[in-house]
Amino acid sequence: MSANKTYWSGVEELDRTSEFERISSQEFPAERPIDAFLSDERLEKVNTGRRDFLKFMGFSLTAATLAACETPVVKSIPYVNKPEDITPGVANYYASTMYNGSDYASVLVKTREGRPISIKPHAASPLGQVNARVNADVLGLYDSERLQGPVLASKASTWADVDGAAAKAAAVDGRKVVLTNTILSPSLQRAIDGYCAAHSADHVQYDAVGYGAIRQVAREDFGRNEFPSLDFSSAQTVVSLGADFMGTWGEALRYNEAWASRRRPETGAMGKLYAFEANLSLTGSNADHRTMVAPADQGRVAAALLGELTGHAMVSDMNAGLKSAVALAARDLKAAGSKGLVVAGSNDLNIQRLVGAINRALGAFGTTIKWEGNRMFAGDHSALASLTADMNAGKVALLVMHGCNPAYNAPDAEGFIAGLDQVGFSASTALYADETSSRCTASIPTHHWLESWGDLQRASGSVELMQPTISPLFNSREAGESFLAWTGAPQNWNNYVRGTMDAKVWNEGLYAGSMSNNDAVEPAADVSAVSILAPAMAVNETKGGKFQATFYQKVTIGDGQSIGNPMLQETPDPISKVTWDNYVTMSRGDMEDLGLNLHLAEKDPASLVRVTVGNRSVELPAFMQPGQAPGTVGIAIGYGRGASGEAIGRAAYQVGGDGEHLADENGNLMPIGENAFALVGDQSGLPQYVALDVSIESTGETYALACTQMHHTFMGRDSIVKETTLGAFVPEMSAARGEASWNKAMGLGVHADINGDGEINALDKKTLDNFDMWHEHAVDEVGHRWGMAIDLTSCTGCSACVTACHIENNVAVVGKDEVLRHRDMHWMRIDRFYASDWNKERGAEEGLGVVGTYAKMEEPSANPETVHMPMMCQHCSHAPCETVCPVAATTHSNEGMNQMAYNRCIGTRYCANNCPFKVRRFNWFNYNGNSKFQNSNPAQDAMMRLVLNPDVVVRTRGVMEKCSLCVQRTQEGKLAAKKAGQPVVDGAIQTACAEACPTHAITFGDLNDRQSEVRATYDNNRAYHALEEVGIQPNIAYLTKVRNNDKA
Amino acid sequence: MQHEASIREPLILGNKTYQQITDDVLAPIVGPAPRGWKILITISSLVALYGIGCILYLIGTGVGVWGLNKTVGWAWDITNFVWWVGIGHAGTLISAVLLLFRQKWRMAINRSAEAMTIFAVIMAATFPGIHMGRLWLGYWVLPLPNQFGSLWVNFNSPLLWDVFAISTYFSVSLVFWYIGLIPDFATIRDRVTGSWQKKIYGVLSFGWSGRAKHWNRFEEVSLVLAGIATPLVFSVHSIVSMDFATSVIPGWHTTIFPPYFVSGAVFSGFAMVQTLMLVMRKTMNLKDYIHVRHVEYMNIVIIVTGSIVGVAYLTELFISWYSGVEYESYAFINRFSGPYALSYWTMMTCNVISPQLFWIKKIRRSLVATFILSIVVNIGMWFERYVIIVTSLHRDYNPSSWGEFNATSMDVGVFIGTLGIFLTLFLLFTRFFPVLALNELKSILKSSGDSQKQAALKESK
Repeated sequence: MSANKTYWSGVEELDRTSEFERISSQEFPAERPIDAFLSDERLEKVNTGRRDFLKFMGFSLTAATLAACETPVVKSIPYVNKPEDITPGVANYYASTMYNGSDYASVLVKTREGRPISIKPHAASPLGQVNARVNADVLGLYDSERLQGPVLASKASTWADVDGAAAKAAAVDGRKVVLTNTILSPSLQRAIDGYCAAHSADHVQYDAVGYGAIRQVAREDFGRNEFPSLDFSSAQTVVSLGADFMGTWGEALRYNEAWASRRRPETGAMGKLYAFEANLSLTGSNADHRTMVAPADQGRVAAALLGELTGHAMVSDMNAGLKSAVALAARDLKAAGSKGLVVAGSNDLNIQRLVGAINRALGAFGTTIKWEGNRMFAGDHSALASLTADMNAGKVALLVMHGCNPAYNAPDAEGFIAGLDQVGFSASTALYADETSSRCTASIPTHHWLESWGDLQRASGSVELMQPTISPLFNSREAGESFLAWTGAPQNWNNYVRGTMDAKVWNEGLYAGSMSNNDAVEPAADVSAVSILAPAMAVNETKGGKFQATFYQKVTIGDGQSIGNPMLQETPDPISKVTWDNYVTMSRGDMEDLGLNLHLAEKDPASLVRVTVGNRSVELPAFMQPGQAPGTVGIAIGYGRGASGEAIGRAAYQVGGDGEHLADENGNLMPIGENAFALVGDQSGLPQYVALDVSIESTGETYALACTQMHHTFMGRDSIVKETTLGAFVPEMSAARGEASWNKAMGLGVHADINGDGEINALDKKTLDNFDMWHEHAVDEVGHRWGMAIDLTSCTGCSACVTACHIENNVAVVGKDEVLRHRDMHWMRIDRFYASDWNKERGAEEGLGVVGTYAKMEEPSANPETVHMPMMCQHCSHAPCETVCPVAATTHSNEGMNQMAYNRCIGTRYCANNCPFKVRRFNWFNYNGNSKFQNSNPAQDAMMRLVLNPDVVVRTRGVMEKCSLCVQRTQEGKLAAKKAGQPVVDGAIQTACAEACPTHAITFGDLNDRQSEVRATYDNNRAYHALEEVGIQPNIAYLTKVRNNDKA
Repeated sequence: MQHEASIREPLILGNKTYQQITDDVLAPIVGPAPRGWKILITISSLVALYGIGCILYLIGTGVGVWGLNKTVGWAWDITNFVWWVGIGHAGTLISAVLLLFRQKWRMAINRSAEAMTIFAVIMAATFPGIHMGRLWLGYWVLPLPNQFGSLWVNFNSPLLWDVFAISTYFSVSLVFWYIGLIPDFATIRDRVTGSWQKKIYGVLSFGWSGRAKHWNRFEEVSLVLAGIATPLVFSVHSIVSMDFATSVIPGWHTTIFPPYFVSGAVFSGFAMVQTLMLVMRKTMNLKDYIHVRHVEYMNIVIIVTGSIVGVAYLTELFISWYSGVEYESYAFINRFSGPYALSYWTMMTCNVISPQLFWIKKIRRSLVATFILSIVVNIGMWFERYVIIVTSLHRDYNPSSWGEFNATSMDVGVFIGTLGIFLTLFLLFTRFFPVLALNELKSILKSSGDSQKQAALKESK
């Protein structure tokens, strides 16, 4: 029933009075006096003339126009429903795990507003170490060149079609293979096993860089089917035969931290490291005794070591120098006994067998070598070789790949590519349409690990978990989910992983990043007694040619899977300091013989050489590497990717002067460097990363190499680098700061008899505080005073801090051409100094004269001692940069930091000129918009710029920048403490570099907190300030480097 | 009337009368432009346009178009700045200091030397501007009241002192120059026939009527301004040198810099005056007014200042050794033996050795030799600044950052461009302004004119 009610607004309306009728019929209830207004004669007198009218019009028009103008609207859409865990401006951290085939790291992922922006080590985990490759991988997530959806027969496709095609292919007869890298995920293993069972396929694993020989020796000689877990923290003496265990060999992430714990001189004893190697590796550069040994002689060194330890002569001919070096190492190994450890980088079975025997003789098993059920590096190259043969024979009907790129890095990549055409159906689950994936029938995009659920098991006893930190950016699918779909049992991957794991502790596990499991380490199988006679004979027979080559992994590029990561490309190699390139390292003498250019500079390019191994050759620029064994060359693998222009990241290709990709005459993009995997040899299924007979010739052409450091010695300037030996250190270990002979307080000479010896001479010095003309900043004992201490003894130069800093602070990547012009933007760099054979005394003795001596001092020794010195803004209390800025854009904070106000900077560069450390970086161009940086700077990629840290401003053209000691973090930490109503807890605030440092060489904190770690380090008697005598009073202290290389 | 010994060479040759002086000086203004002038201004303005193009490209793209880098933050930009400022020293020295010392010979050269000063200072001021990363915010170096909070300039910074020094110097020089021009503008006003020209010169001459009162005021103002300008001659380059001297960079941090820079500036300024004067003398037909005697006097100044500069170089070397400071001594060893040794030895040859040739009277009085050497000196002085700036920076304290500087085409383009702009301005000046202080010149005709000297000589015999 509807109600027919009428409402009225008043009695007038109800009564419909005539007055109401009249009013309601009119538009305006009251009379409009229009006629009266117009007829008003005063109107005539108003002098709003034509001009006034125009003025009013003009004003109105302008006002209307201006009102229509507005600054471009940047839409930021607020959450309709705020996610529970996300507060804009507050970072969330998620524990996750990264595994890429060689690096395995427990990490914390920092996310802001739902996007991961940086990766730091998960300090609570024993696997919580990162290197440059790990923390820079956050860029890989945002690479817009990633495969964005499934591709079938070179056409964009749908998951349904791909799954249909895969199902159809699996029904065909023939050999069916799943080819992967070493699978560490129990869930993925389960899914693959299920797939293999359903389709009677076999699972073949191989690693990009193989460790087959060690695994084989472990299996055959020790009855262990696992990769030995090396415990460097228990080692007293370590001998490395060409194993770069601090950089890229084995589980370098673990080793680096563990070995650093043995290198604390304050304990009075330090581990000692001997390196026998051909290339100067990161490990060699940190060795106490380094001997240059050609690859062909490495087996002999192993045999000789074994001989020394067992007392049997095992080597027939060996030069005296090498012999005594081996004897020295053997002596220390003997002394260390079970605390000794010998590692060899070689994949030669004989050498590894000898090394196993040495370690057995030392009794190292159980102390420095442990069996933990380590599942790393389970790959088998011989299985890959037989697969390749089957493929070429047309026997393979189905090939599904995951986590591998055999078309690039298989020893017989060409054969593999040819065989791939014979395979009925091939699919590769990968991040990119890379060399392999792009040639497959189906290219299956998989999630980046930051988008994935997952579990990983490195060794028995614990499983590390992986959790997504962002929704998948592209139309990709977890690889395991693909296997499940193709098995015919599609399942959500998260549920599947939880099904593998113990669901009861799942949440706790996610929080911790790992959960324990009950896998026991398998007991050793019975093995027959090992004869070392055959291997010893074999290594004695090994002969090298005129030139021998070592193929190594660079610390930054690794096996080449992240070649498209601009930040890794721009991070200088810790040894050569070359960015963006691949090259042949050669000794000085060899280069002189070939007439190659020794000194590189902006206008002085490197000479190109052709290195031939068998019937394969590469053409690369030659780089003079001090410490390179004469007669040997080193070539990094991992380069030369994308030879057919595959989409593997824009930074993977060479660019021209305007930042555009260069193309060769066929229109193909030009890869950076050449693929040295092609030169890798084979020893019955074990890839050999050395070539014993190579030929080298100069092509007569040149190629520019961009180094960030052009000068290699510290010219005897011992106020920059201070070093001593353990033998000299220990007697004065408890000396007061400034007293010890190896870290004497600096003084300046004055013209008065200070020391009272009756003479005025160079010994008359006054301490530095006598010369200061400046007022002290009132920072000591007032509030906070942030400072940092860097232990040069611990720093290995691994460069994890460099990438961490880059990412934290949105430092621009500027590309090769700019680095070539000395315009790299690194806030944190690692200065690498070589020792020289020359000093002023020797120059004077040999009568060279001062000019000649300095020229000699510029040349590093043939086998130099190396210092890695992290260098960033020293936050001087009396900063020379601060006084010279005309607009006070750089000033001192009341917390002791030198701070830079970008907004105020007008770019005179005076501050940079006046910086004795040269740590200030100028924005020469608009890196975020200038086309020169289109293919290098992440900030120019719509996708990749998501990685930028919202807490740090992206600098504009024309301003100066430099290390801020991560001021955004100190502010955040102070605020958190303030909110909690507590003082800032020591260690709660960390800079990005300190956090990333795997060897804990960098300590950051509040110097005014007397209990803080940094204060203790700062007051250590090894602490000094670089260039102290300039009077700038840095707030960064360095700890004198102590080497354990006393002659005795 | 001042008396001058009759045996002295006359300053004005060729039996001039007052009328003739006016005719000679005004010839290029009232007459048609000489052919040589037209050719020169075409070339120089094209170069100037190219330079302006380079500057616009620089401003549009970023300072990175130059060859500077993380180690060498200044190179050609500040080299050019100091070089131009140095050149800008001669004008004021000639007009102010020589005025105070009653050196009558300055009258033939002071006008154009001052013009040169003005234009050189303009060129100099260009560089600190365009070398900035953010030129559009350059006004922040001025202590202006602002709404950026309590932001003020940093009075500790020598760059700020530069701003004050250069702007003061420029304004005083401009006023000084203009005051001198007033009577001469009046003469032109009275000469020219075109109504526009008459109007313009009329305005420019500020109603000068040549009354004794005017002359009296003119003399007084000149003297006062000379008094003000004289300390500026010394202050400007002293302050410019402090950009370097107050820093911590070995090779810059040197207490000798202020006097050394000032004498270097006078040295290069006089050389530039010689270069321009000798060309002007030829093309403008001023041989009777600017002649061997003037050239010789200026060459003597060049020997003196050049020698001071030479002594300064040697003192620096000595002190670098005597100090015993590793960085300091290396900086100087690196200068003469390092990658930029060629620049150092160019500097040494041009600045120390070449001016010593002027001890030989024949060379000192040879116009051709003077012309060549004046150019050599300015090349040397450019290299002096380049050596100080680039070789000190490229290898300072920390060897890990040692690098090199390579000039790009934009470095060259901007520098050549400023030469073009400078020449264009100077050529415009010679065409429209009286290039000699003609009214002042007339004051010495009686005492130092050719015929008068002859008469006096005869009389004395």
